[in-house]
Amino acid sequence: MTRASDTPMTAHRLGLIAVAVLLAGLVAVPVAVGDQFVYHIFITICIFAALSTAWNIVGGYAGQLSLGHAIFYGIGGYAGVILVNLGISPWIGMFAGAAVAVVAAIVVSWPCFRLHGPFFALATIAFLEVFRVLALHFRELTGGATGLMIPLKIGWEWMVFRERLPALLIAFGMLLVCLAVAWAIRSHRLGFYLVATRERESAAKAAGVGTVKVRLMAVAVSAALSAMVGTFHAMYLTFIEPESMFSLQFSIQIAMFALIGGIGTVWGPLLGAMLLVPITEFARGALGSEAIGLHGFVYGVVLMLVVLFLPNGIMGLVHRFTAAPGKTVGEQAAPVAAAPRSAEPREAGREVMRVEGLQKHFGGLHVTNDVGFTLREGEILGVIGPNGAGKTTVFNMLSGFLKPDEGKVSVLSPSGEWQQPVTPGDFASIGVGRTFQIVQPFAAMTVEENIMVGAFHRHPHVGDAREAARETAHRMGLGPYLNAEASSLTIGGLKRLEVARVMAMEPRILLLDEVMAGINQTDVRRAVDLMLSIRDTGVSIIAIEHVMQAVMSLSDRVIVINSGQIIAQGDPHDVVRDAHVIEAYLGKDFTHA
Amino acid sequence: MLEVKNVDAGYGSTVILQDVSLHVEPGEVVTIVGANGAGKTTLLRTISGLVTPRTGSITFEGRDITRLAAHETVDRGVTLIPEGRQLFPDMTVRDNLLMGAYSRHARDYQDDTLHQVLELFPRLRERLDQHASSLSGGEQQMVAIARGMMARPKLLMFDEPSLGLAPIIVAQVFEVIAQVAATGTTVLIVEQNVFHTLKAADRGYVLENGRMVLSDDAEALLQNDHVRQAYLGI
Amino acid sequence: MDTFLQIVANGLMLGGLFAIVAVGLTLIFGIVKVINFAHGEFLMVGMYLSFLLSTGLDVHPYLTAAAVAPALFVLGALTQRLLIQPLMSARDEHVQIFATVGLSTALMNLALLIFGADIANTPAHGVRSQVMLGEVRILTGQLWVLAAAVALVIGLQLFMKKTRTGRAIRATAQNRAAARLMGINDKFIYILTFGIGAACVGLGSSLIAPLYPTSPTIGTYFVLIAFVCVVLGGLGSIPGAFFGALVIGLVDALSGFYIGSDLREAVVFTIFLLILILKPSGLFGTRMNLSHVSP
Repeated sequence: MTRASDTPMTAHRLGLIAVAVLLAGLVAVPVAVGDQFVYHIFITICIFAALSTAWNIVGGYAGQLSLGHAIFYGIGGYAGVILVNLGISPWIGMFAGAAVAVVAAIVVSWPCFRLHGPFFALATIAFLEVFRVLALHFRELTGGATGLMIPLKIGWEWMVFRERLPALLIAFGMLLVCLAVAWAIRSHRLGFYLVATRERESAAKAAGVGTVKVRLMAVAVSAALSAMVGTFHAMYLTFIEPESMFSLQFSIQIAMFALIGGIGTVWGPLLGAMLLVPITEFARGALGSEAIGLHGFVYGVVLMLVVLFLPNGIMGLVHRFTAAPGKTVGEQAAPVAAAPRSAEPREAGREVMRVEGLQKHFGGLHVTNDVGFTLREGEILGVIGPNGAGKTTVFNMLSGFLKPDEGKVSVLSPSGEWQQPVTPGDFASIGVGRTFQIVQPFAAMTVEENIMVGAFHRHPHVGDAREAARETAHRMGLGPYLNAEASSLTIGGLKRLEVARVMAMEPRILLLDEVMAGINQTDVRRAVDLMLSIRDTGVSIIAIEHVMQAVMSLSDRVIVINSGQIIAQGDPHDVVRDAHVIEAYLGKDFTHA
Repeated sequence: MLEVKNVDAGYGSTVILQDVSLHVEPGEVVTIVGANGAGKTTLLRTISGLVTPRTGSITFEGRDITRLAAHETVDRGVTLIPEGRQLFPDMTVRDNLLMGAYSRHARDYQDDTLHQVLELFPRLRERLDQHASSLSGGEQQMVAIARGMMARPKLLMFDEPSLGLAPIIVAQVFEVIAQVAATGTTVLIVEQNVFHTLKAADRGYVLENGRMVLSDDAEALLQNDHVRQAYLGI
Repeated sequence: MDTFLQIVANGLMLGGLFAIVAVGLTLIFGIVKVINFAHGEFLMVGMYLSFLLSTGLDVHPYLTAAAVAPALFVLGALTQRLLIQPLMSARDEHVQIFATVGLSTALMNLALLIFGADIANTPAHGVRSQVMLGEVRILTGQLWVLAAAVALVIGLQLFMKKTRTGRAIRATAQNRAAARLMGINDKFIYILTFGIGAACVGLGSSLIAPLYPTSPTIGTYFVLIAFVCVVLGGLGSIPGAFFGALVIGLVDALSGFYIGSDLREAVVFTIFLLILILKPSGLFGTRMNLSHVSP
């Protein structure tokens, strides 16, 4: 165990040393060589690495593939140059550009978040085209197609130098800022929330993540950083025009470096830029105009090869060599550490949830018909019914994932008022946690990180959340797998992870959707004990289950749903003897058999 | 006719089936029962080639079909009627049925088979030019069965044919299955509706947590204590 | 009034051009569910082939379609087989996007490398001559493009509805697993569809080559507009893409005249964004759901 935790630590330290060496090299090599052209290459590396790192916050962490990031770069460039022409230092212009870029980013992204994957990419391309055309059109401001020159004012104040070294230092400084911001986001709550939202939006919502809010924050930060780099690059280039500042090819390149280095990782964009920029700049330098198109051709081919053979980029390759072999071992059957139960039956407490007259239609299908019931504090309510009876639809309405056509769901808030939550976020914050029938692990995260996404709900700081997550993991029998990738768990393990993530939110009402399906008999018994112990801490549980044995031993009360209607409810033993129930499950003949 | 030997299968890193064996003889009606999540659907998907087993073998009429793709398995005479109907929603009932006869050996008999199938499902004749999505659940299930028969299968597999249907329709579905079996087609059914299927079947298997735990004549299984307790609630 | 009629006619002719590019794009999206960012470069490759063949053999550029369309079919089929198929099961959408973006970048720059940035003019062989339809002047080549687009849309519709293969293609798009259970080889269907989609743009490129100068970046302009037409007409719908293209052609021509020719693209892309955001199923409505909203 100690060895197992040693290995990643040393690997981690080695990685940091490697990064430090690479970064130092970015300054040391050009200074040592002293050649103008080498300086230029390294400045270009810094600029592309910084832009790509900023892009990665949106494209990688949040998984929103922007192919229009040149919008923000261009805004920064134009803001800087226009203000310099008015006699304002680019150090100020940089922030003005960032502010405009943030506004643009929010205006551009907010309506686009409902679009996924290629459609988000298309929308960002369209926005980029609009910006380019507008930049060409408003000549008084941008100089139109003829472009803008910067006045030749030299010195730190104007970011323009005769020598290359100061420019390199500024570019390098910007790269460091971008890397630091990217690293900080990735290792704090926002980063966890972004990755969780990217991996499984519904599960993230159920864990109380404001998915739109965190994405907007990511986009705003990314846009601001891109704009600041854009300002500097404009000063470095001394001339800007719409075709180069708002260029689709440029946007694609920025994204490409991140993808080749390792999308969604902190250091990937840096590696991608360091690898590709020198190749292409040397080719351009050595072959000159003969080779126009060569670097683009190489980029395109490398990009195709990377997606085909190295989908996690260079960082994926690095991980493959450093990862400790055989990280998950055997069956995930660690005992569930259930607390011993109090022997005497408890009285159910006050009502905590009221469900009244729920109706839902999908097209012509009446999937929920007048469903109503109440849930008391510290009660386990079993929900049974044949497949396709509409149980999960009811759950979706009890957690804000579906809006009922009619009827209402009221929840007693901790302060004792009845409230009617609407969105998944409302439900989460009032203390309703849910699992999903089809397990929704955040595949790119470890077991511990998965549970932390839930734990952040009550513990905003990483340290506290980690501690809470570990505690929950041990309680759920997931202790030995904290550092395993969630995707490596067995189906039983995934079911427990699903429950653990919700438990880490410390909910007052727990909605469990078939958490026992597909797990073995021993685990069913353990899971029953665990649920009873959760119930005994005062949590109310609504559980959809098919495993009858579990339903019978677990539930204080049972409701039976068939064809979207409640056909029976009450004591579990009475309910299973009900003729309607038998008919719903087994068909009419059976009642006479 | 069908022989599944020591098959392990699953999705990604998740193992669903462990060491599963079963056999089906010509003309039999065999059922596999088990709870939700026991691996019944995965088993049928593995036989039909939608899932490739990790270990073990599957032979059909003495020939190995373990690694065949789904469309090749159909050509051999094994057809699966999938869970939840899986019709082509924006195609007419007629086109859905014609797609059933897409495989090479069924293509040439397409018109004859269509005629025979419509004899069995007279109701569908009136619906031929409607879009599949406009049909009721019971009618859709009938289209799914009819579409499966259009492939002229030697072995027809049903995955949860009663899923989401009203009890009265369920009874009709099982009547149809009995008629299909009466035409000489071998039938393999996977069902949660344990009572109905065991009534309809010659033999049965019980699948729990991805393993076969019981196998016997259907009558004997109906009387079996474990089955009665776990699945019939008696 | 005459001017207005002339602008409308110009818009419709332009729409025909867009349509012939958009049809293949929407076919590939509708069936394979992949957005082919390299579609514009397919057009560019086709136009260069057309240019080389018609100048090299001194034949009418329209005749080169007999070679260009099959060549593009092969290019499309290879793209699906070698680039997209290995990525079909990838969990992350970004790999498919970047795969075709990479192909697009590579093809465009390859053309730059081979032909340089200069434009290539395919001989017109009379298709740039004008005919008068009443008061309106139109290039004969534009009429042919529009006619070809109409024929292509009708032909594809008949193929999809009336033939066994066409039905198999639709079935695969509607329910892939069920199609496999019918004995349909889904991988072959995807390769075939990608090939057909590319062949459509191949046919288009032989018709467009004599009208527009060919350059390595010509594809970018057309493909972005084609995306607009496809989304406007409802993703995956072939007639939708055709009517979408006519609408966009009209918008382009009218806004160019009444708002300013340098703002035409801004108008077109603004409409695109509005449709994408407000009515993603397109103006003519299909079932296609592009936001994949999870429950």
